[in-house]
Amino acid sequence: MPQPPIYLDHAATTPVRPEVIEAMLPYFGAKFGNSSSTHRWGREARAATDAARERIGACLGANPDEICLTSGGTEADNLAVLGGWRVQRGSGRNAVVTTPIEHKAVLASAHQAAKEGGDERLLDVDATGVVSLESARTHLRPDVAIASVMWVNNETGVIQPIEELVALAKNVGAVFHTDAVQAFGKIVIDAKLTPFDLCSVSGHKFGAPKGIGAVFVRRGTALAPLFFGGTQDRGRRPGTENVPMAIALATAMELTLREKDAECARLLALRDRLEAALLERVPDAVVHGRGAPRAPHMLSLSVPGTDSESMLIALDLQGVACSSGSACQSGSVTASHVLNAMGVPPELGSAAVRMSVGKLTTDEHIDRVVALFPALIAKARSMAGRF
Amino acid sequence: MTDDRRQMTAKARVLVAMSGGVDSSVAAALLVRQGYDVVGVTMKLFEDGSELPDRPCCSLDSTSDARRVAELLGIPHYVLNMVDHFSRDVIADFVAEYARGRTPIPCVRCNTFTKFSDLVAKADGIDAQYVATGHYARAIDGELHRGLDDNKDQTYFLWGINRLVLKRLMLPVGTMTKPETRALARELELPRVADKPESQEICFVPDGDYVKILRRELGDAAPALSPGRIVTMDGRDVGEHGGFARYTIGQRRGLPGGSGDPLYVVALRPETREVVVGPREALLGTRVAASGINWLVETPPLAGDEVQVRIRHRAPLAPAVVEQVDDGEVSLSLLSPVSAISPGQSAVFYDGTRVLGGGFID
Repeated sequence: MPQPPIYLDHAATTPVRPEVIEAMLPYFGAKFGNSSSTHRWGREARAATDAARERIGACLGANPDEICLTSGGTEADNLAVLGGWRVQRGSGRNAVVTTPIEHKAVLASAHQAAKEGGDERLLDVDATGVVSLESARTHLRPDVAIASVMWVNNETGVIQPIEELVALAKNVGAVFHTDAVQAFGKIVIDAKLTPFDLCSVSGHKFGAPKGIGAVFVRRGTALAPLFFGGTQDRGRRPGTENVPMAIALATAMELTLREKDAECARLLALRDRLEAALLERVPDAVVHGRGAPRAPHMLSLSVPGTDSESMLIALDLQGVACSSGSACQSGSVTASHVLNAMGVPPELGSAAVRMSVGKLTTDEHIDRVVALFPALIAKARSMAGRF
Repeated sequence: MTDDRRQMTAKARVLVAMSGGVDSSVAAALLVRQGYDVVGVTMKLFEDGSELPDRPCCSLDSTSDARRVAELLGIPHYVLNMVDHFSRDVIADFVAEYARGRTPIPCVRCNTFTKFSDLVAKADGIDAQYVATGHYARAIDGELHRGLDDNKDQTYFLWGINRLVLKRLMLPVGTMTKPETRALARELELPRVADKPESQEICFVPDGDYVKILRRELGDAAPALSPGRIVTMDGRDVGEHGGFARYTIGQRRGLPGGSGDPLYVVALRPETREVVVGPREALLGTRVAASGINWLVETPPLAGDEVQVRIRHRAPLAPAVVEQVDDGEVSLSLLSPVSAISPGQSAVFYDGTRVLGGGFID
């Protein structure tokens, strides 16, 4: 029997934590009520949802009424960016400012705003994957309705200068959104410390199930809703509240924050050891975002003379699950818009492999990956030019 | 074989091209049953797959079907992005051939370049000794033979592949009939695939409307899509057409009707943009000249040898005598005339069930 496979793709998704499953279970059973109902079942559900909202808020330095629950990160980003732009339509603030390295949920929302008449502006990004503050100074003008910059990039792990960007946006009176989907649990996100207006998180990145996310909406920040129907969540997000998932998100967030410092130190050590060992064995490998501040769980690496698709297949056949930047729906590997925006040459960008450590990762996993990597690279390079 | 011995024998790895259709799904299932280390792949060949929901292959749905079958079989499955190469090697040639007044068969070039060259390179990349597909043909001892199901035989599309690849080729459904394949898919409870309709059209041509592709690639003003004259073989002008690329040898549709014998397209003259028409008898020919020849046997036939030739998919094999074999070119004389020998189609040479080679009709 071969050795058990190694999951190095925690930036894609994580296993649901047993504590989270346990916390959800009663709400699939006896406590099945609709939190909008008047009767005891409804009250029970309402109380549970409200408590969850409060706990989620506490994890973000927010009030419960500032938490809007969504189906996940994509909806949170859409609601924030598109809802934040649409609500200001006709106010003289028509621009949406974002960056070329955002998740598609933000980029496509900005494109949609542009289709609806918005003025879309993309900030420059330097070679290490950091958004240029100078470019932000140029583009953040009093005509900006909303600016959206991710806190941690989902391909490189590079941390963006959110404090400075928020300040620049505030200076011109623009609403500021940050996609913190990869950041939560890795760096401090506190609405009391950083005056962002909107902030998206996604539960399945840290131990909640897929299908639950939230957007922090600072008091006084208006959003045009994406959905129409009931009055749930103050009309920002109509639809029967998903009680067990709200509890799942709250539980996963609390657990993650409780363990944050120790877990981040552990992940950083694992990632840095992996990075150093791979660079030692493949000296011409390029680590994307190296030199910039990076979240502790991610490593994006290109080996010249290889390609992502072949590398991912070869790794998977050896039992190692990694990812390239973004996969299209069919599952085929496509060129990374993030690395492209960083000015990474196409032949290197198309070789990128993202390894993300997390809950499941052990020292032994790192040893095994490091041990099999050189042969895998040698093989991939011997195939170069054959296709 | 005992379980212990089975574990000790390292099973050869096979890369199987899975389109999501019944043939390749059953092929994969058979290889798994035979104990091979099977790796399934679906080739993504063009970008607009998601807009063609009912395509038997290459659409998002088909890829998902292939993945589901692979999951059921317990084998890994990957999507290979081969869009650039397919566009260069297959679609560009398809367009260029129509622009030259010929009738291309993209499946031949897909097999030659995409499946049995690029895909073989991918197989090498994962140390797969064998490459398998769901073609109805048989690879036996480095030779290519017709599939046992005469109705389904696909060797007409396979003549162009590198002969050396034949030794690494596995065609598990080539010994089966289509009904047997479907029955096996049902028996194995392969999800969704057993009753999928047959793929007859060209995968990258939505609704069989190849002119749409030509317009996209060549532009509406291209000579091949511009109006021209329809003339008879003796030079009589009988009407106008909307672009010679819309016509193919033997076609009746889109020609002026009226009294007299029905007219057929007998030739295309791209240099004058003329479509030449004539009576059915004018389609008959006894001479086939082909170029771009590829041999699948060690000792190709010589002038004077008798072979069987097929000039169209599913056409009966026609006995012929080789007249000349030259540097990549062959001419043959058919023992009895056949209809509509179309430039751009393939001429495939057989010795019984064995495929000798083939070429593109000039």
